[in-house]
Amino acid sequence: MIQHLVDGILTGSIISLGAIGLTLIMHMLRFANFSYAELLGIGAYSALVFDRLLAALIPFMHEKIGPLSLTWTLSVSVVLAMVVTGASAVVLDKLVFKRIRENAGPLSMVFASFGVALILRNIITLAFGHRAQLYSPDIAFAIVVSFDPLLLIKPDQVFVLGAALVLMLMLHVVLTRTTFGYSHRAVAENPDLAQVSGVRLSRMVVSVWVLGGGLSAAAGVFYGLTNQISPHLGHNFVLPVFAATIVGGIGSVYGAVLGGFIVGIASGLSLMILPSGYTPAMPFLIIIAVMLLRPHGLFGEELHR
Amino acid sequence: MKNNLTSIAALAALAVTAHAGTAAADCTLPVGVVYPTSVDWGKPIAETTLWVADMINEAGGVDGCRVNAILRDTQVDPRVGVDAARALVDLDRVQLLIGAVASGVTIPILTSVAAPSGVMQISCCSSTTRLTEIAAEGGANGLFFRTFATSNVQALVAAMKAQEAGYETITILYKNDDWGQDLGSLAAAAFAGAGIEVKAQIAINDDQPSYRAEVTQALATRPEALYLALYPKEGIAVVREWISLGGTTEFIGTNSLKSDEFREAVGMQHLGNFIGTDSSTPRTGSATAFVDAYTAHFNAPPSGPGLPNAFDAAAISLLAYHAAGRDATGAQIAAKVPMVTDPAGEPIDGDVAGFARAMELLSAGQPVSYQGGTGAVTFDQYGDVSAPAVFWNFGADGAITEIQYITLEEVAAFGASIE
Repeated sequence: MIQHLVDGILTGSIISLGAIGLTLIMHMLRFANFSYAELLGIGAYSALVFDRLLAALIPFMHEKIGPLSLTWTLSVSVVLAMVVTGASAVVLDKLVFKRIRENAGPLSMVFASFGVALILRNIITLAFGHRAQLYSPDIAFAIVVSFDPLLLIKPDQVFVLGAALVLMLMLHVVLTRTTFGYSHRAVAENPDLAQVSGVRLSRMVVSVWVLGGGLSAAAGVFYGLTNQISPHLGHNFVLPVFAATIVGGIGSVYGAVLGGFIVGIASGLSLMILPSGYTPAMPFLIIIAVMLLRPHGLFGEELHR
Repeated sequence: MKNNLTSIAALAALAVTAHAGTAAADCTLPVGVVYPTSVDWGKPIAETTLWVADMINEAGGVDGCRVNAILRDTQVDPRVGVDAARALVDLDRVQLLIGAVASGVTIPILTSVAAPSGVMQISCCSSTTRLTEIAAEGGANGLFFRTFATSNVQALVAAMKAQEAGYETITILYKNDDWGQDLGSLAAAAFAGAGIEVKAQIAINDDQPSYRAEVTQALATRPEALYLALYPKEGIAVVREWISLGGTTEFIGTNSLKSDEFREAVGMQHLGNFIGTDSSTPRTGSATAFVDAYTAHFNAPPSGPGLPNAFDAAAISLLAYHAAGRDATGAQIAAKVPMVTDPAGEPIDGDVAGFARAMELLSAGQPVSYQGGTGAVTFDQYGDVSAPAVFWNFGADGAITEIQYITLEEVAAFGASIE
């Protein structure tokens, strides 16, 4: 019980990070972006490339930090990967979504996002192959926190939870304490009114892609650190991330954080009552339950168009 | 246009006459072959089958008739496979269908085409026990055979190994698909039969973000060993998680984990006690003869999956067709299969001379014991065959190494001992 709960919180922190980016993008651009989760893959793979590069250039930094399997090179790579992924999100918007946004409706955007997801996933497969990649081939052993009830936690997971919380806190400060944050929220609420008040819409769109891309890159690397990286990484997260976003309510950052933890914990706990073959249905069940009780999500407001 | 038509007609007429002139006999028998020729591993299987048909023709043909093997692609797609089989039965009027490879294609062809139409079907490569169940329920009307052993062989030898190693408890992790569910439940039955307590059977789904919960659940059962019926993709994630949480490194795994990717990602330091299982072809003269003959014919050794099995499926079914006669129905051909695989019969080889001798004996009403690429094949009442097995591990240098060969008799004896 306690182990499932703790595992759920740890998985939930990664889902939350992904869901924050998605909820921001969905709120501002008003379409369900199914290619968003592929950004996790881009993040994870670009960190892998940077990690290998840095390890070759400055070998003494390729040392593990304390009990973590995270190396100094990888921690630098995370930041670089966040930048690269944010930039690729902006490029994707310029190449595909911006053009469609100007000429067609939201439904075309949704279909385009499916296409973009397929293309991204296959580019990753072409470049890196199907096989699973690892940041560190060594297996990081879990630490026994308590024997009865048995509770095992990996240092990496604690680090991931902490790092995710720090990132969320930073985002919170940016959104609530800076002019940028106010402009951002204004555009999401009402783009026309925000423009009248002197907010540059195009700049806000770029910034939300950078934010979303950066957060999802972090989520991708954190996932790769505690599990493994494969071209299907993004695809595997589509459902949990969407579930978290919908549960939390589209547009609500705090809802997305909570939604991520709810989905993570529920998937972990569901094993106690359901056979493991049925656990993938859990995110769907949560979506249905929330939609029935609160159609706009836990923290969501009705979108005014 | 008219000119064209006339010349085509003339050519066709010429072809027919030429054909009649060179054919081994004055009649042809259509035989349906449904294999996935559009995938790289399916093509050699189809080519092997056509090669057998050529040899049978060279040896005099089925009951004096030239075999016309009509090959149709299944694309490993149940819908395409059923359409192909349907066309072969309805349009080409075949009484014998050879195919398919994947269980998911073989089953619908059997239940919706072969069995209802009374056509005999023989598959080279389908391993699911679902086919045994269909036969046991009477759904196959005794028309179905396969030359590929069921997953039960692997399950049996896994239990044999666990008993040998003295494990008292084991937990099973299986891939949540037809193959994994089948193998998982077979293994559970085999372990239980061998007196090993199965602590839990846990399904592992494809493409999950985390397997932590499943692994934690398995860990809570505190087994002495872990049985892995997984593919490398999820196997890597699960086993790494398992080891990181301090689980035992006593593993028994299926042939699907024969993978360098799996070894590298998990690491040799954790795989020292890993034992793998696999079914095998028998170490007999006829199996070696098949490899030599195949190499001579195709200028390459038979390296793909199911090639000796495909060879034997074609040879046995065509010899049975011969014994049943050119006008036989599917049921009549099926009834003659035991005559071709009679252990008491004269042993015959899988080559042109062997086929000619077999046809001679069969025509005289005498049984033969066909010795093919998979040895002396015998079918049980459900059309299933057994097979020898091997144990393998990741050797000192990490290469996949065979460590023990278990003969067909040993597998069968162990199976009988735990029933």
